[in-house]
Amino acid sequence: MDVLLRQLRQGADGAVEYQDTEVIADTVSVGAAADCTIQLLGEGVAAHHATIRGGAQPLSIACHRRGSALINGVSATSATLKIGDLIDIGGHYLRLVQPPAGFDIAIEIESNAQAASSQYERAFRTDLSATWLSMRAPSWCLAALVLLLGLLLPYLSIAPQRAGRAMPALMPTDQFWNAGPLIPAHQHATASRCGSCHQQIFVHVRDSACRECHKSIVDHVATAQLLQTRLGPAQRCAECHREHHAPVTGLVFQGDRLCIDCHAKSATEFGALKLRPVSGFSRTAHPDFSVSLIKPGAVTNAPGAPDWVVSREAVASAREQSNLKFSHAQHLNPARVTLAAENRALGCSDCHTLDLDGEHFVPISMQHSCASCHELTFDPQAPDRQLPHGRPRDAILLIQDYFARKAVDPNPGASVLQRRRLPDQQLSDQQLQESPCSGPAFGCAMRRAQAEIENQFKTRGCASCHNVIDTHSEQMPDRFQIVPVRLTRDYFPDVHFSHRLHALQKDKSGDAACLSCHAVQKSSSSADLFIPDLAKCLQCHSERLETDRVRLQCSNCHSYHPKTIIAATREAEVR
Amino acid sequence: MMQQNILRYRDARYAWWAIGLGVAAVAIYATQSGRQRPGGGTWQGYVLGAAAVLLIVWLALLGVRKRRYRSTLGSVQAWTSAHVWLGLTLLLVATLHCAGRFGGNVHTLAYALMCIVIGSGIVGVYTYLSTPRQLAANSGGRSRPALFAELFELDRSGRELARACDPEVSIAVRSSIERTSMGGGVWRQLLGVDRSLFLRTDPAAAAATVTLAANTDQQAVIDHVARRVPQAAKRAEVAKLQALVVLLCRRQAVLRRIRQDIRLHAWLRLWLYVHVPLTFALLAALIVHILTTFMYW
Repeated sequence: MDVLLRQLRQGADGAVEYQDTEVIADTVSVGAAADCTIQLLGEGVAAHHATIRGGAQPLSIACHRRGSALINGVSATSATLKIGDLIDIGGHYLRLVQPPAGFDIAIEIESNAQAASSQYERAFRTDLSATWLSMRAPSWCLAALVLLLGLLLPYLSIAPQRAGRAMPALMPTDQFWNAGPLIPAHQHATASRCGSCHQQIFVHVRDSACRECHKSIVDHVATAQLLQTRLGPAQRCAECHREHHAPVTGLVFQGDRLCIDCHAKSATEFGALKLRPVSGFSRTAHPDFSVSLIKPGAVTNAPGAPDWVVSREAVASAREQSNLKFSHAQHLNPARVTLAAENRALGCSDCHTLDLDGEHFVPISMQHSCASCHELTFDPQAPDRQLPHGRPRDAILLIQDYFARKAVDPNPGASVLQRRRLPDQQLSDQQLQESPCSGPAFGCAMRRAQAEIENQFKTRGCASCHNVIDTHSEQMPDRFQIVPVRLTRDYFPDVHFSHRLHALQKDKSGDAACLSCHAVQKSSSSADLFIPDLAKCLQCHSERLETDRVRLQCSNCHSYHPKTIIAATREAEVR
Repeated sequence: MMQQNILRYRDARYAWWAIGLGVAAVAIYATQSGRQRPGGGTWQGYVLGAAAVLLIVWLALLGVRKRRYRSTLGSVQAWTSAHVWLGLTLLLVATLHCAGRFGGNVHTLAYALMCIVIGSGIVGVYTYLSTPRQLAANSGGRSRPALFAELFELDRSGRELARACDPEVSIAVRSSIERTSMGGGVWRQLLGVDRSLFLRTDPAAAAATVTLAANTDQQAVIDHVARRVPQAAKRAEVAKLQALVVLLCRRQAVLRRIRQDIRLHAWLRLWLYVHVPLTFALLAALIVHILTTFMYW
């Protein structure tokens, strides 16, 4: 269509001047851009503000995005136009006038003189804010997305998970709140379900949740004892055992503060609990050791069978009371004792066998520790007949039976003589020769039996190792009783100490390593105690890292949770 | 200089604040040698976490303060200087709070968002320090509206001069004005892409054909008009064409400045489109972090 554009201007003399421009175009574009048919500048004018159509189509105006115009004083985004209409865009006036002959449209343009040419920038997109980039929308979207995926969906997943329903693979669950990995055992036990431990939201993990699995754990201090102190209520399990991102050493805090925080103040804080203060592992910071010894108490049961009591005594002054006669010095003297088969002196491990835990020793017993050398024979002419160990009454009866049988046996010489020389039996010619006996055969046999029984229980045999009580009973089977023997198996039941680790020391190994701590070589009494004291440990250990010392922390020897159940098991073993 | 204003505001007062805060945070962190491993769960961790939250909220309030023109609560300059220095310290405080423990969880998401926000902020500080110098050198001390006003006048003069020339020149010059490209989309603004065009009448062709030709940096239209100068028959026409070439060259110079100004301003503000939305995401993640910590503790 042919368009006549008439620009009206106020001349210098006040008269209106006009300048005509002829345009041939399909539409008339209005805006600030240079390529618009009518270029208008100003605050309310967009780069491409509106389009005027005419010619074959009805005369109309349509504003572009968010633009508007005042058509005869009325705001509109689009409108049909007629001759004489006044269009106001950003203070510029466009008036549709009757087109002269040869033109389809004629528009008078009265530009707003106030609109500065500096507004030309509006014709272009010169700022990032004019592009698709935005701050507001992404801000709200991202915040909403984080709240949705990080809080709402995980929260909604709690109930179905606790009801045992499986969640869709891509659904964010409360796992997204997981502050860090669990230790593998807990990971396995809980199957990564937060609710296993966090049973109630906004409530600390309760001890009851821990005890669902850890049923046998024992508190460090019994509630009744704790009440006697000024330490306040017991801590929750999780106060010390911090899950999620636990250190590689595990959930148990290893630092000395665990113990020292309370035990250094035992004098003032422990109230009625009288415990010596501990502030470290040194001569001054740690008290001397005290051992738990099993000792015979009052005799309340059968004669000679005492109630055993555990006595806690200082290492320096403690004496064993096991009721066993034994001399380490004698057994370790190669001039007196050798292993016949191997022709060598006895060593520690010939009697003491380290248990599987590497900490304790297999309990000493006649059968395992002594019998390989010490047989319980009583008649050199019958080396294959041995007395039953641990059953004195049976032993007496066996001796009587043996001699009664011997008295009436038509072929008494069938036995073979001594197979080997036993270490504690000196056979004399006298013993080998049977003294003559006159009278009935049974009476002779019983006299011979009595002599042998008294010999066994008073002179050699049983009496070599055991304390024997002569009841002087008329009834021979009841006459002698052996004082029961109990050896302490664990001198420090609440302390761990690895004998296996200490079997190899700086410059010692084997028996030398054992003897460096347990100086048994010159001990001839079983009452001697060979447990090393603090000073001995401090020869090699220190509480601090030092070049010539191995550092020891409290937890290397002590456990926070007492081993009550384990200790009870040991008691049973010893009995 | 901008550098003086932001980082060295009042003898870098806030740098000292930041150093003091950092030292205090390290000191608090260092006391974590008790039963618990360093982390957000110790009392020191809670203190550091609370400090970090307060810092984040305060740092985010800069956006509010900038819009409160009547506020007397410190100048925006002071706020910005403190924003930069304390924002840098936040990285230390938050890292000490979490004791370097990370994982695929909402807590690390909050930390990662914080790092991106701080990282974009560092880019912002760099651009705020380096770009104004380039802007001033480019615009010769004139504001952008002044440049556009000059361009508008040159455009109007160019159209009028062109009208007096022969149609080929007139079409070329007017089309070059109408089809001048400036700014535009994100990439065009950032890279200063110039997709200007003009209508070139090919004189070699038998019939005068008009083609739309590239007019990058307005060089093509200048060359086109300049080539017409020796062909002009009359002295008056030569004078017009020469005046037109001079005008087009002035226009070219102004356009270069404007385009560079747009480009520099785009880079000056680009980081904000990361910094601000992610700040909101960070605030949301922070709410989730705090809430879930106490839901499952």
